[in-house]
Amino acid sequence: MSERPHLLLVDDERSIREPLAQYLTRNGFRVTAVESAAEARVRLNANAIDLVVLDIMMPGEDGLSLCRHIRETSEIPVILLTARSEETDRIVGLEMGADDYVLKPFSPRELVARIKVIFRRVATGGQRVTAPDGATYAFAGWLLKTQERTLVDAEGVALPLSTAEYNLMMAFATRPNQVLSRDQLLDITQGREANAFDRAIDNQISRLRKKIEPDPRNPTLIKTVWGGGYTLSAEVRKL
Amino acid sequence: MRWRLWPRSLVGQIILLVAIALFVAQAINFALLLQERNRLDLTSQTAPGVYRIADALDNRGERRGDDRPRARFADNPPPLNGQRRADVENRAAAMFEDIGLNVRSIHVVQDNERLPMRRWERFRRHEGGGGSVMHTVGRLVMAVEYEPGKWVSTQIRTGSRPQRFGGWLIAQTGILYVIVLLPLLWVGRRLARPLGQLTRSAEQFARTGAADPVDERGPGDVRQLTTAFNAMRSRIFLMLDEKDRMLGAIGHDLRTPLASLRVRAESVEDEGERARMSETIDEMNRMLDDILSLARAGRSSEPMQKVDLSALADAVVEDFLELGSPVGMADSERAVGNVRPQQIRRALRNLIENATVYGERAHVSVAREDGAIRLIVADDGPGIAEDRMEEMMEPFTRLEGSRNRDTGGAGLGLALVRAIMTEHGGSLRLANRAEGGLEASLILPG
Repeated sequence: MSERPHLLLVDDERSIREPLAQYLTRNGFRVTAVESAAEARVRLNANAIDLVVLDIMMPGEDGLSLCRHIRETSEIPVILLTARSEETDRIVGLEMGADDYVLKPFSPRELVARIKVIFRRVATGGQRVTAPDGATYAFAGWLLKTQERTLVDAEGVALPLSTAEYNLMMAFATRPNQVLSRDQLLDITQGREANAFDRAIDNQISRLRKKIEPDPRNPTLIKTVWGGGYTLSAEVRKL
Repeated sequence: MRWRLWPRSLVGQIILLVAIALFVAQAINFALLLQERNRLDLTSQTAPGVYRIADALDNRGERRGDDRPRARFADNPPPLNGQRRADVENRAAAMFEDIGLNVRSIHVVQDNERLPMRRWERFRRHEGGGGSVMHTVGRLVMAVEYEPGKWVSTQIRTGSRPQRFGGWLIAQTGILYVIVLLPLLWVGRRLARPLGQLTRSAEQFARTGAADPVDERGPGDVRQLTTAFNAMRSRIFLMLDEKDRMLGAIGHDLRTPLASLRVRAESVEDEGERARMSETIDEMNRMLDDILSLARAGRSSEPMQKVDLSALADAVVEDFLELGSPVGMADSERAVGNVRPQQIRRALRNLIENATVYGERAHVSVAREDGAIRLIVADDGPGIAEDRMEEMMEPFTRLEGSRNRDTGGAGLGLALVRAIMTEHGGSLRLANRAEGGLEASLILPG
């Protein structure tokens, strides 16, 4: 990756495309802005693109279709822009292999922050967290439904999670039987939701334990590791 | 109090009425039959005596040395012991008249006599396992004064068997019921099934905003009704779909310029101005969101599921705490309800937002009572005047005189909460707390 990452911005709305391209340029990116999926395909073939910012709703070929094409042919990260707040859009988007999404109207700063998170992950050789949303993880009689940010117990009763609890639970569910230090947990959970984690990890751990442990004082699922941190001691299956 | 026996359904009422009418007709029929049967019975009791006497009188001259004369002649009134049978006397008088015999007076008495059984009777009784050879038999003694001072009398056995009539009537009524009521039941079901289906479909539609079309069957007029209902249903669907499409388009078309504005706002030099602009844009977006949600209320695609509402409230409160909002959650028991969790989260968020904006602090708790689950958000604010509470739940209503004039919103928060509650078959209740402040409760069927 060069000093200035090359972004491809695909949006049919000139009123968004142009000021956004300017803003991104001011923030240290090289930006190529196009107005259709067809044009984007041409650019993708001709240029070395580091990341695509893609509007979902476009005349002609829409963003989802282009996103799937990109995912089939390359590893270029994709951030989707969507005007609809409906759940379906974002889930479909993430299933199509997008790395992230932002809802219109979005704060350009937030977009830049998310772009940087993705680049940081790519730079450190981190694995693509392909669409955690929409998936379900099963462990120790519990189901973790990422789409609804909910834990479902053995009786089929859903226990909704707060954002922080959910992020923490995801960190454990995607890394079962690994010892995670407090710093690591902070890092993992802050990756997606910046500043969502002002409160101590231990506090959140005890809240989670209260929800999922048969006996919160004597935890058998989320175990404390002396001097290390915490570990989810369970077999996790991704459904 | 309602008369419980009276069925509520159309078919039930028709069948009950027909059954009652049939029964009354059968009863009248029975009464007439019984009367006729009694007359016949009387005639059959009277006739042998009358014929014997008529015969005896006709053959008075040629007396034979009969061992057992069928009629005895006497010059005095014969001794008559027993119960007088005026009905037989009258019938006999009529019969003598019919024959053309003029008699002066008729006396009939009945007494019971123990007689040896006849051979065939004994034989039958034996088969049945009975022991005695004697049995009680009714005897009629008929004495007729045919000329002044001259009498002739005779004896007749009568059956003392009780009349068997009721069983036959019941059987007859039963057969009639089967013949009449079964087809009626069949017709009734043909009528009731499509009507019931229509009702269920309409109720489902009212509750969920979606319903399957009803099978067009049954009698012609019912089928017509069903066809009309289905046509109405698909038309409403079309309109609702159109509404959704239109709202989607409006949402998209308004969000695009908002997004553009939001991006451009970043190039404003003045930091304070920039922050205020983006705040305004966020607020417009929230209002747009509320309007779209309210317009889509009742057409949610989110499935119902069993949710621990205490955990839900706890999660929502936790998210507020993360943002540093003054919200507290009381420890609550597990309370499982069948809900759309995203919608309930949204409703609860709206209430908590109101409480923190207008009421300083939000106290959240979950309680179970009378088969319902209550999510309670109480605050420390001034409350709402009783006469304005209903109004507050209407769209675009905001509390005038609110100290926080600069806090935004289109006044859709509570209207949206109420729409979500209605969709869940629950309700939103507002009340002023005795210790001050407002208490808003989401009441859900538990």
